[in-house]
Amino acid sequence: MKINYIISILIFIPVLIIQTTVIPLVSIDQVVPDLILILLVYYSVTEGQIYGTVLGFIYGFFFDIVTGSLLGSTIIAKTVAGFVAGYFSSENKIDIYLMFFNFGLIVFLCALIDQIIYSFFSAFDISSNIFLIFFQNAFLPAFYTALLSMIVIIFVPKKRIL
Amino acid sequence: MLRFLNSFWYNFKEYIILTVLVVLSLFIISQNHSPAVQRVRAIAFGAFASVTSVVSDIFNIKSLKKENELLRETNAKLMLQLSKLREAAIINEELKNLLALKDTSGYPLIPANVISKSLSRIQGTITLNVGKSDSVKVGMPVITDKGLAGIIYSVSNNYSIARTLQNVDLKITVKDERTRENGLMKWNGENLVIINVPKTFQIKKGDRIVTSELSSLVPFPIPVGVAAGSNNIETGIFNEINVVPFVDFAKVENVFVLKTVASKEIDSLELNFLKKFQ
Repeated sequence: MKINYIISILIFIPVLIIQTTVIPLVSIDQVVPDLILILLVYYSVTEGQIYGTVLGFIYGFFFDIVTGSLLGSTIIAKTVAGFVAGYFSSENKIDIYLMFFNFGLIVFLCALIDQIIYSFFSAFDISSNIFLIFFQNAFLPAFYTALLSMIVIIFVPKKRIL
Repeated sequence: MLRFLNSFWYNFKEYIILTVLVVLSLFIISQNHSPAVQRVRAIAFGAFASVTSVVSDIFNIKSLKKENELLRETNAKLMLQLSKLREAAIINEELKNLLALKDTSGYPLIPANVISKSLSRIQGTITLNVGKSDSVKVGMPVITDKGLAGIIYSVSNNYSIARTLQNVDLKITVKDERTRENGLMKWNGENLVIINVPKTFQIKKGDRIVTSELSSLVPFPIPVGVAAGSNNIETGIFNEINVVPFVDFAKVENVFVLKTVASKEIDSLELNFLKKFQ
């Protein structure tokens, strides 16, 4: 179990580098996909709910500390997202959940929750248009992330090697 | 009792772990401004930025050719502008001498490259490849050839993080260049807006918005954007003015850090003045 955590953190480092350097180049009107969330959902589905929750906390902590965003906002968002993704963890159904459309839907759901919590903690302003903020800050990035996840999962072997 | 706790843990361990981690996250949020957290953050992003700078350089090489062409074009335009400005400067100098004004221009610029970005629509930040060793300090404005891009927020030895204007935590005092009316500008998650603008103010669509001398972050006018109309708030006596920034934060790559921080002398003077009347 401990080795699994170390491996998932080691994989996280290059993903974080790509997220902060390459991913902004493919942004559409400042909507960026979240590679870290895709990795987190993958681990939550394959390793279980507790693993996903703890890993979400760790990923969020590292992301907050190196990007300068409000420390804690990504931590709480990724922790809950990892927990929710863990509901789709089942020994018998892993292959079904890792099918490209199903995985995309799980990622979409988790990204939506992740972004809503993140927006709430970092920019909640009662005077703003809540629906518009939800659409721009949560729905669009979640949709983009889900699309990317469908592409990514095609290249990931169904037997877990990560 | 022990058996009950054991069974409780067995049945609800996922929820217990989630609750503990969420409470821990909330505690971390409350510790954001602690100096110890700031120090840890400076060390962590300094180490991370040294890695991302290598990756960033690889991707920048491809765009260098295109950027060179653009720079040559900008250079030619600037040369034409410069000749006009020289004329204006001569006249300005004469007028200044007449009025015995103190020359406050001539702030040194520190060139920097953006090595990574957090393009969140709420908390936009950029990491720059300059830090304490280049005399960068917290609070220094970050500018491009188009205008203000952000403010330095955290500094390590060789790197720094700047909050862009698209960050809800950054609020700057700005003014309308035409009418000289001041207001507080912030990012509301959707747009840059000047908030609590009295309806009697004459800010019109298309007016240039620059930083105000009243700002404790940017002590002299730097272009920010153009007014894009008001958010007609029907009730109350205040309006909100939308501002379209000059800087495209998604494309910004090369910036300058303006080597100036708000005068401590002014701050302490104002503070003493306030204390006197409390």
